[in-house]
Amino acid sequence: MTSRCAFRHAVCMAAACCAWAQTPVAPSNEPTQGQGGDNASNYNIRQSFEAGYRWETTGGDFGMYQSTVNYTNGLRLLASSLDVQSRDGHGGFFDQIVLNTQGLGNDPYQFASLHIEKNRLYRYDLTWRSIAYVNPAATISFGEHAMDTIRHLQDQDLTLFPQSSLRFFLGYSRNTQSGPALTTQQLFDARGDEFPLFTNIRREQNEYRLGGEVRFAGFRLNVMHGWQDFKEDTPTDGTPLPQGNNPNDLTTLNSFQRSAPYHGTSPYWRGALFREGRFGEHRFWTMNALATYVAGQRGFVQDEFANGTSRIGALTQLQVVTLGNAQRPAFTGNFTFSLFPTSWITLTNQSSFYNIRMLGDSVYTQFTNGAQGTAVLPFTYLGIRTVANTTDAEIRVRPWFSVHAGYDFSYRLIRSVEGQTVVGNPLQEVTAEQTNQLHSGVLGFRLKPIASLTIRLDGELGRADHPIYPISEGNFQAFRGRIEWKHRSLRLSGYGRSDYNINSVSLSSFASHARQYGADASWAGNKWFSIDASYAKQHLYTLGGIDYFADRAEVTGESSLYISNIHTATLAARFNFKDKADISVGYSHVQDVGDGRAGPLGTGTLFVSGLVSVGSFQYTSQPALAAAQTFPLRFLSPMARISIRINNKVRWNAGYQYYGYAEDFSALQNYRAHTGYTSLAWSF
Amino acid sequence: MPVRYSGAMRFWLGLAILAQGVWAADYVGSNVCRNCHPDIWSQFYRNPHYKSIASGKEKAENTGCEGCHGPGKDHIESGGDRNAIVGFADLAPDQVLNACLRCHVQTISRANIRRSEHTEQDVVCTNCHSVHNSKAPRFLLAKKQTDLCYSCHTSVRAQFSMPFKHRVNEGAIQCTDCHNPHGGFAATWRMAQRPQMLDRASGNEEPCLKCHIDKRGPFVFEHTAVRVDGCETCHNPHGSTNAKLLKRPVVFTVCLECHNGAGNFGRHGIGVITQDSTHNMTDPRYQNCTTCHVRIHGSNADANFLR
Repeated sequence: MTSRCAFRHAVCMAAACCAWAQTPVAPSNEPTQGQGGDNASNYNIRQSFEAGYRWETTGGDFGMYQSTVNYTNGLRLLASSLDVQSRDGHGGFFDQIVLNTQGLGNDPYQFASLHIEKNRLYRYDLTWRSIAYVNPAATISFGEHAMDTIRHLQDQDLTLFPQSSLRFFLGYSRNTQSGPALTTQQLFDARGDEFPLFTNIRREQNEYRLGGEVRFAGFRLNVMHGWQDFKEDTPTDGTPLPQGNNPNDLTTLNSFQRSAPYHGTSPYWRGALFREGRFGEHRFWTMNALATYVAGQRGFVQDEFANGTSRIGALTQLQVVTLGNAQRPAFTGNFTFSLFPTSWITLTNQSSFYNIRMLGDSVYTQFTNGAQGTAVLPFTYLGIRTVANTTDAEIRVRPWFSVHAGYDFSYRLIRSVEGQTVVGNPLQEVTAEQTNQLHSGVLGFRLKPIASLTIRLDGELGRADHPIYPISEGNFQAFRGRIEWKHRSLRLSGYGRSDYNINSVSLSSFASHARQYGADASWAGNKWFSIDASYAKQHLYTLGGIDYFADRAEVTGESSLYISNIHTATLAARFNFKDKADISVGYSHVQDVGDGRAGPLGTGTLFVSGLVSVGSFQYTSQPALAAAQTFPLRFLSPMARISIRINNKVRWNAGYQYYGYAEDFSALQNYRAHTGYTSLAWSF
Repeated sequence: MPVRYSGAMRFWLGLAILAQGVWAADYVGSNVCRNCHPDIWSQFYRNPHYKSIASGKEKAENTGCEGCHGPGKDHIESGGDRNAIVGFADLAPDQVLNACLRCHVQTISRANIRRSEHTEQDVVCTNCHSVHNSKAPRFLLAKKQTDLCYSCHTSVRAQFSMPFKHRVNEGAIQCTDCHNPHGGFAATWRMAQRPQMLDRASGNEEPCLKCHIDKRGPFVFEHTAVRVDGCETCHNPHGSTNAKLLKRPVVFTVCLECHNGAGNFGRHGIGVITQDSTHNMTDPRYQNCTTCHVRIHGSNADANFLR
């Protein structure tokens, strides 16, 4: 087979064969065949609707079902589309309208996009989303941070004169989150108690954009100015449970109220300059430069009042008032130059600059039983400046063999100032400064010994001299390999990746080793049958030094060992029966087998005294810590769908999908959910 | 007698024609093409490339069928000889890229396409876009976007199969909400120029902040980890077996791995502060750090994120 033919097959494969996502069973994927549309005036109009009823029954923890799946009963406009096209490209007010929706009518994940365009004059795009976010947060904070919120997002962009040398951009984005939630507050002092409280989340951001792009002397200059206005007015009030999380404490809370408006704006500028030039046939260069500046600022006031008894049983009224502002100016820049001296060499150099400063003050005043405490003014400053440069080379030595290599250098400076003073007095500052230099190199090759086979291997090695955190990249290395074989409609692929990071200092070390490998096979050889199957394994082994207190005694020299072994398998197959009916079946299985143990290491099962040796390391003796080192669970989802063609314009669909979630060590969050739907899809 | 090209010469000549617009007399116009390709022509008005025909102002080499496939005179005179016209299925990846970028290099989102990881791996325009057989409502995608991405990124598909994940499979979020498949600018907020091919929020910030507006700040008291090493310090952005996409099943192990006082880590270079002695880790109360430290992403009232 010639290379041309091979590439032709590869292109065909991209269209015919793919790895299917295990999508929810509805909406249906099978299209109706009435795609010709109707002509009206100078336009052709095509529409399709899929409307039906979705159902679910859940046994077990409904909160966890909502957190991971969340489809519920009801009538839905599962999907719809509208496509209006000018037949000669000379419509009146528009030449094209494309509208698509999904899940309207109370699905937890609703989506709509609208595109309107008039050739050469304007282009308008709207994306709207409504996403339900429910999280019982049982493992995060005893469930005391449960949330049941809705997030609405919309982006609107208007481009004027989209095909000309001078273009203008206008944009608007809105992002809101609202809904009931729980939060907690710790009272009345550092050794007090925590109380769950009701809160009603109200967050909102509006962004306005105005920009333009001009072409001159082969360059394009793109400038955008935007304003992001954010506000949060989430009140926390109501009558809490008088008893908090600590049953052995006398602290009680009778009433609580907090108002904390938090408003601000982040105006920004973004400028980009880019150009591509030629200096001979098949020899050219590209450059681009990007700079952004954001001047974020927030102002806030918080008024909090709590009434109860302290941990020694004394009646206590606590009012905390804070006010102040926070600023974060940030400047970033990128410059990239690429040279293509021949058709088989690519040389790229990138430089980037990042400078961000965060500073603010917050006057804190506390009133205890009506007596005003000393107002204090804390001040913090955090500055991060990063300069990075990367050089990459890609050389196609032979049509079937290419090599790439690269070198990265990054330098980061972190400056910190922290201080606190009584209002009116000089600030007592604590300053610190540190630098970190990171060098890393990559080397790899790509081999295509025969037209249908591609093999890729590469590795990266990096060294940082002053990582900011124990888990940050210190001495790291990564290896990646991928093999892919394509022949007509059959595609087989396998991959492996291994990441190591060791970040050790005296008396403490952190080491992580992550491995991923998997395989995928898909075949779409004929019209009536196609199949896709995949398997992936993700292994994570992390050992990190920890330090904590147990009954006021500091425990040092122990390590936290976390092991995760996640197997993921998917299978999807589609059958078509003489264009009369389509049957789709699928299965998704995720299983974390943890570290292989059969039960949690906790009180009542196994208490290990002293340090336990694991290879050459030692990990903690605390049962709670040890129990958290693995979290085996299973999440599986088989599905089946049938779609029957009634006529060229109408299809009837029905489907069923099961979700099962089970944790090995506890059944509290487990659930089983049966979901399904039936619908009619109609197009014309 | 029509000119015949053979071998590699045909591709280079074809591209030279495309690039330089020579031999204008060999352009016959798109109306001629529809005689033999009525199925393509009858639907072509739906194609965004139809704009070049509708405008009526483009040069012959920049409009309609011949804008991409080159001059059609020889192809017609030879009775439809495939070798007498540029067919994209026959082009090498870099030739496909060159042909498409004649017109499409003009936006900021594609400013890095020639050096992108996709291009270096020979993943070029026609691997994801199907000009004449698109199955997607926009952008002439050959398939639904997630299916296209998953066909190579199978490890990512596995991550989005986890119980906790961003709702990509559900259709609420798309890969391109966070990534730029045409090649992104370097991620300035991290060291070593990684990760690659990420899109960015307005101020060249992590794309997470496009949606998670409340985490953006600025705050008087920033959690330094968020600003220095980014959200992925504690979270797996694609999917996780742990609630809230955390890297560990419970919160305190996430916290303790950094807050261990070791070595010269932290903003002051004296180790990331440990808990004080009031924190008894044998008591479940203290194993849920965020029950007290509720403003863990940043606070305006308390340096320890208590309110």
